[in-house]
Amino acid sequence: MQRPVWSLPLSSAVISKLNRRGYQCTADIEHLTTGVKEEEASEVLDLVDHQRYPVSITALELLQREAELKPIVTFCSELDRALGGGIPLGKTIELCGVPGIGKTQLCLQLAVDVQIPECFGGLGAQCLFIDTEGTFFLERLREMAAAVVRHCSLLTEDQEQQDAMRTFTVEKILSNLFVRCDDSMELLSQISDLPAFLSDHPEVRLIIIDSIAFPFRLHFEDLPLRTRLLLGAAHQLAALATTRNTTVVMTNQMTTRVQGEGSRLIPALGENWGHAANIRLLLQWIDCKRMATIIKSSIFSVSIILSVLLPVHT
Amino acid sequence: MVVLRAHMCPGLELQLVRDLREADISTVEELVSADLEALAQKCSVSYKALLAIRRVLLAQHTAFPVSGADLYEDLLSSTAILSTGHPRLDELLDSGLYTGELTELSGGPGTGKTQVCFGVAVHIALHLKQGVIFIDTTGGITATRLHQMLQTESSSLEEQIAALQRIHVFQLFDVFSLLDCLCSLRRSGLQPVAVGGACVRAVIIDSVSAVISPLLGTRHTEGMSLMMQVAALLKALVKDFSVAALVTNHVTRSVGGAVRPALGVSWSHLPRTRLLLEGPDRSTHSFSSLRSATLIKSSRQPCHMRVEFDLSWWSRSKEVPSAKRKHS
Repeated sequence: MQRPVWSLPLSSAVISKLNRRGYQCTADIEHLTTGVKEEEASEVLDLVDHQRYPVSITALELLQREAELKPIVTFCSELDRALGGGIPLGKTIELCGVPGIGKTQLCLQLAVDVQIPECFGGLGAQCLFIDTEGTFFLERLREMAAAVVRHCSLLTEDQEQQDAMRTFTVEKILSNLFVRCDDSMELLSQISDLPAFLSDHPEVRLIIIDSIAFPFRLHFEDLPLRTRLLLGAAHQLAALATTRNTTVVMTNQMTTRVQGEGSRLIPALGENWGHAANIRLLLQWIDCKRMATIIKSSIFSVSIILSVLLPVHT
Repeated sequence: MVVLRAHMCPGLELQLVRDLREADISTVEELVSADLEALAQKCSVSYKALLAIRRVLLAQHTAFPVSGADLYEDLLSSTAILSTGHPRLDELLDSGLYTGELTELSGGPGTGKTQVCFGVAVHIALHLKQGVIFIDTTGGITATRLHQMLQTESSSLEEQIAALQRIHVFQLFDVFSLLDCLCSLRRSGLQPVAVGGACVRAVIIDSVSAVISPLLGTRHTEGMSLMMQVAALLKALVKDFSVAALVTNHVTRSVGGAVRPALGVSWSHLPRTRLLLEGPDRSTHSFSSLRSATLIKSSRQPCHMRVEFDLSWWSRSKEVPSAKRKHS
């Protein structure tokens, strides 16, 4: 069976040139000699090159790779236990919840926790925080950073840890990478730029988008377009997370679905968006207690509901 | 439309190809349907030579008819039914996944599509000892979970390791890589570059709609054509190599609020069997591992058959025969 030329990732100008010359499928192009300009020809020949097979790995190798990735601890012991040690690396996670339940708090905590040095069991990595709502509180981050530094200094035992503590200070934690996006276009272009950004900053292992819902809920009349853009962005993030072993955390808002006589709160951005993240955590108030439920994940078979006490460090 | 090239068949020299092109014959189809006598005169080549070339080209490029009886014999000897590992799902699928066919699992987020895919991969690799190709387009594959499922099914470490080596994972994130992957699998006869030696019996794609839905719905029809190209390649793959294919799909809500599989009507003709997964019941605050599967398209069972199944089947402990849900 032959693969037609239009199924290659080429610009439509090049495809129509090839079609006009009578090259309808890739088998014809293997013998291409004249008719197309030099750079275009080499681009086309490159794509048709049979030696570029996508590479597979066995599940055993994947298991070995995963065993080397440490999770990002949240300092909420129940949540860490439920997630198998903490937020896993290389996945996209969505946090949904009503306003005020603590999504931004959890994100700030993760931004600090990813920087814990390796000798204390952390990742010693950096974080990129993309803020779209303007709820980033520097003071709160400073408090959390101070608490984590204090926690680590209490655990210091050997020389390596003492050396690490010299550089692990509140100022260092605060020199996080931080971006503010005002609307959906800026957010989408920021997301498209992420691969290049991560190549320049290989220390970044956590990307937080707080929140991904806000820019898309304002001024977006064309809902199908919104769904397409969101799914495309989520897909780019999933590709990034997997290929670079980086975790992407996104927060989402809640909306009301009216069903029959009653209504209930569901995560915003629509049904299709639910498929975007690998893991979905729903934070809600039940009987005046803050509860977290894992409503979607490939790692756990059963949704686990547990009460979450976000650490109040003083 | 196959372009005529020098040395495609004996007798077709470069000069002859150039002469034919000048006479407005540049593809095999044009040569085969042309008037050979007039052509022989125009290109100053013998009629017999052209006739011989035409015979060879026809033999190379036509499909060979097969009698129904031979086809039936072939089908009986090459079709296998692969159990999914979950007895309730096997009930719905008339004993399991059939090779040479495509089965589709659709469902909303959190309904268990990825878990079912993992369960099928684990069962085929461990109990049937056959190779599985797992194409992951969402980044959701976690080998730790596969290992957990293997530990539930078998307590021998060697068996678990052998099973893990039989599952080949491709992580692709766009439709062009998916097309490259399917083409290269077809070309290499489904023998991925790996140690193992097990013959591949199943191809699982989780999920196909993640790469295709962002392309659909625009004014341009490229998305639709790319989707149909994926469909055609998958169909050719399952038929040529007698493997079973399992793909997952998203769902959309129609105007009335009813849930139906995404990707539209054109895609719906590709899978032979389609299952819709639903659940869990969200009206209360408790979340269970029970899901329901409805058969929405099948050529073997009555449609709209529905079974309830428990996702924690794949985490059951060996001492307790019936799966129990755990609430904390």
